[in-house]
Amino acid sequence: MSEKKQQVSRRQFLNYTLTGVGGFMAASMLAPMVRFAIDPVLTASTAGEMQAVVDVSEITTDPQRFDWTVEQVDAWYTSDVTHSAWVYKNENDEIVPLSPTCTHLGCSVSWAGNEDYPDQFYCPCHDGRYQKDGTNVADTPPPAPLALYEYEVRDGTLYLGQPVPRGGV
Amino acid sequence: MMKWEADDLPKYFEAKEYIDTVLVPLIPIQLSNEADSLKLANYQKTLQIIAREAERDFAGRMLLSPVYTYVQAASYQKEQERINQWIQLLFKEDFKHVFFLTFDVKWKKEEKGLDGTLLWLPGTVIENYQSVLTKKWINEQTSQLNELIKSFW
Repeated sequence: MSEKKQQVSRRQFLNYTLTGVGGFMAASMLAPMVRFAIDPVLTASTAGEMQAVVDVSEITTDPQRFDWTVEQVDAWYTSDVTHSAWVYKNENDEIVPLSPTCTHLGCSVSWAGNEDYPDQFYCPCHDGRYQKDGTNVADTPPPAPLALYEYEVRDGTLYLGQPVPRGGV
Repeated sequence: MMKWEADDLPKYFEAKEYIDTVLVPLIPIQLSNEADSLKLANYQKTLQIIAREAERDFAGRMLLSPVYTYVQAASYQKEQERINQWIQLLFKEDFKHVFFLTFDVKWKKEEKGLDGTLLWLPGTVIENYQSVLTKKWINEQTSQLNELIKSFW
């Protein structure tokens, strides 16, 4: 009689509760581990965000160097990393934000860095040179033009994203 | 970027023929007195920032060596011998220019015995690394340091 009334037997009840509690415990242990394992994936998107660099009114037709600092998270270690860009306005009034990283071996180039070439970017390491638009000068070591940053202008401020490499000549 | 890091070293070995300069930061430590320890820890951070900035500009020609750390109360004579041994064993063969970067003025007197060029900068305790003034100061230090290194090339 009484067995008929019991729709859930003691054994079933225990099975359900233990599976439920056990599953909850397993989930609470696994969730942080999964998060931990894919953490770099989750944070990677923030590194690609556009960074405010400079007020557009400061940009002239001569390339100027602007620096900005981003907090970079390398899994366990957070550090401030400084980035730079050489920015100017070309004759069509378009903003040209060039990466300073020499495409030869990664030194920083500077505008008019060599007195002999006042209208070029110059790399002090191995005498690499680039035209004002970033094109590498033939017969100097760099194999490709300087990279151009992704950029956008919001409320009069220049925002820069990632440098985009350009193909070699 | 050429630092003593697993990501950078393959680039170093690939481009070895172009890398002829090494920068070795010399950093003293001590723990006997709180005020001095704080000062040295602060100097260490600042010097590392300046070294990394210099490395950022000269990544394609300069290797930033791991820091040479020594106890401030130790004999500079002995440290100098050990530093020179580092240079002989690690860098002598492949590097034409060896630079030591330090805030420790005591090296100025031992300069001649060092197997490389000493770049001594007067240190300043920095309280706020984010301030505009600090950034400006570090930029100034870095650009003058870079000018100096360039003049040896």
